Amino acid sequence: MRNKFDEQLNILNNELITMGALCEDAISGAVNLLTHESGKIKENVIETDKQIDRKEKEIETLCMRLLLHQQPVARDLRVVSSALKMISDMERIGDQASDIAEMAEYVTDSEVQSKIHITDMANATIKMVSESVDSFVKKDVALAREVLCHDDIVDDLFDKVKSELITAVQKNESNAETLIDLLMIAKYFERIGDHAENIAEWVIYSITGKHA
Amino acid sequence: MDKKIFNSNFLTSLFVLLISFVLVFVVLFNHSQNQLLDELSNEAGYISYAVENEGVQYINNFKGDDKRITLVAADGTVLVDTSADERELDNHADRQEIKEAILNGSGTSTRFSDTMMKRTVYYAVRLSDGSVLRVSATQDSVFVLLLSLVYPLSIIIIVALVLSLIISHRVSKSIIKPINELDLDNPAGNESYEELTPLLKKISAQKRTIDKQIKAARQRQEEFRLITENMSEGLLVTDANANVLSYNKAALHLLEIDNIKNGGSVLLFNRTKGFRELVEKVLSGNRAEKEISHDSNIYNLIANPVYEGEKVIGAVIVIIDITESVHREQLRREFTSNVSHELKTPLTSISGFAEMMKSGGTPDDTVVDFSGSIYDEAQRLITLVTDIIKISELDENPSIFEKQNVDLYALSQNVIKSLKPLADKHNISLNLTGDTAYVLGTPKIVDEMIYNLCDNAIKYNKENGNVDIIITATDNKINLTVRDTGIGIPMSEQSRVFERFYRVDKSHSKQLGGTGLGLAIVKHAAAYTGAEINLESMENVGTSVTVSFDKID
Repeated sequence: MRNKFDEQLNILNNELITMGALCEDAISGAVNLLTHESGKIKENVIETDKQIDRKEKEIETLCMRLLLHQQPVARDLRVVSSALKMISDMERIGDQASDIAEMAEYVTDSEVQSKIHITDMANATIKMVSESVDSFVKKDVALAREVLCHDDIVDDLFDKVKSELITAVQKNESNAETLIDLLMIAKYFERIGDHAENIAEWVIYSITGKHA
Repeated sequence: MDKKIFNSNFLTSLFVLLISFVLVFVVLFNHSQNQLLDELSNEAGYISYAVENEGVQYINNFKGDDKRITLVAADGTVLVDTSADERELDNHADRQEIKEAILNGSGTSTRFSDTMMKRTVYYAVRLSDGSVLRVSATQDSVFVLLLSLVYPLSIIIIVALVLSLIISHRVSKSIIKPINELDLDNPAGNESYEELTPLLKKISAQKRTIDKQIKAARQRQEEFRLITENMSEGLLVTDANANVLSYNKAALHLLEIDNIKNGGSVLLFNRTKGFRELVEKVLSGNRAEKEISHDSNIYNLIANPVYEGEKVIGAVIVIIDITESVHREQLRREFTSNVSHELKTPLTSISGFAEMMKSGGTPDDTVVDFSGSIYDEAQRLITLVTDIIKISELDENPSIFEKQNVDLYALSQNVIKSLKPLADKHNISLNLTGDTAYVLGTPKIVDEMIYNLCDNAIKYNKENGNVDIIITATDNKINLTVRDTGIGIPMSEQSRVFERFYRVDKSHSKQLGGTGLGLAIVKHAAAYTGAEINLESMENVGTSVTVSFDKID
């Protein structure tokens, strides 16, 4: 009985890693689309988002089955419940990455892009997502705590980008639509950073049993 | 086993105890009955004697006695009775003991009272006159006896039970003890029950076989581990759920993972899309091959499914680092396209000039001009082909050149002499400083090296520039530095200038007349001589190339 349970927990772990990796794909695809021009990646990102949604359903079913059939307690229960919370954060990351991908099409003014710190923000966000997934994969509490600190960097960058965009609007440097799109993209990055932070928090909770 | 032995011991003793009680009881009771009978027969003997001699009234002496004496006439009428009124008694002719006495001279019988609580034993003898004298005594029946003994008996039984409990427990423990103390790690060395010897022998033999098999398996595993550990290719073995069963050090090294526990997901190694797709494909039962890039390296992954019957039970993934070969392939492609391009340019010019002259009508002085150009282009082609031959020689088989002591100073002087005209043309001064310094090498190759370095220093110099050739010696090295005051090489290009046909300024190559192979030849020559090259350059300031030779001991 325990064997079967362990096997299912193992499958849950593997599925979560896959879902995390899909999130990394989605966000880096979206960022690629924003920084380099390529028509094909947009479809890729949207397809990845769909895969993430499917994975969320699968993992949710798996967790429910585990909860009902095995009635886990203590640590096992933490693992399953934090998995349930984690997948909703991952699903949001996927959605927001696909939103960025759809908007990136309209942000064609590379001149204004180079002036603001949007690329730095994108890279910082990718790093956060990647590290939060890493901390889950390696069950690394220290790395998860690092992710929590990183969120401040992304938040600071968001404020910076915002003020840069305000300056750009005041000086009428680019067309208004691009600037507003960029602001929204920046906001999405900031949200993705928050979700990555949540994932890291759940990693800490599932390992230590304490909320960070 | 302990329990079983205890139970059977206990039950046996319980059984034996009860049986013996019953038997003893029966025997004792019979014995007492026989004794009573004997007593009665003795008494009957002497009473009958007395009655025969002294008459019936003798019997009356016994009135009130605990024994009952009855005299019965031959027809069964009771004549005298010590315990009852003889007139009230009925005919005794049908009584068993009377019948027997009349028939055989004596008779016995036992009768129970109505309540079964009492038992009366009768003994009768026939007197000489045919009448029968009967003596009887009444005793308690066996049940009364039993009832009277219940209390002591139960105490005895309880004591016996407790004793048998304790003894059974002890006995079963002592039987089991040697079995419990068997040393199963060393079955043959046990001193135990004879009956266990065949079993122990069998265990011992099987243990030896198992040990041998484990040892063989371990050895095979160790061999396998050693082989895979020393592979430069990464190896991963997974089960059907994509969990790692085994991996080698190279796999960790190539994918830059510190440590991984067996049984974890294979995605711990890498979770890029390419890798995930590969794992998915191979576990669905198809061979898969994929190139993935990790940092700046490119890996070729080959995955094969492992079948048990029809079912996929796992996969073997081999990781091969193909960065080098991809890079080399790219260089080779560049080289081929460069060679064709370099060869084609002079040939196109030659063909063009020749075509114009072929059509006729070209003035004589133009023909001379054209011929000059054709000659120049042909010379360029020859230089190029010579350079290609040189570099292929160095590539293919450098050992054809024999090494000897070479004087760098003398060679540099020669080079300066031969490059003087070119330097003068650009008004560049060539200076040689240093002293005679011998290094181990081939004169032709070292000369080629210095020539090409100086040639470049002049070609990529500015008007009125300087080229310094400096020979210095350190503790274990001899350095030859060629320094110019030329245009320099941008930082980003510095790592590539030693590649064949690589030019920093692609548009001016023809004008300068180089082949693009100069520094490539230097690099190969240095590698062959065992020298190190160090390039320092700053744009618009100049370039300095230092070749460090090993000092001859």
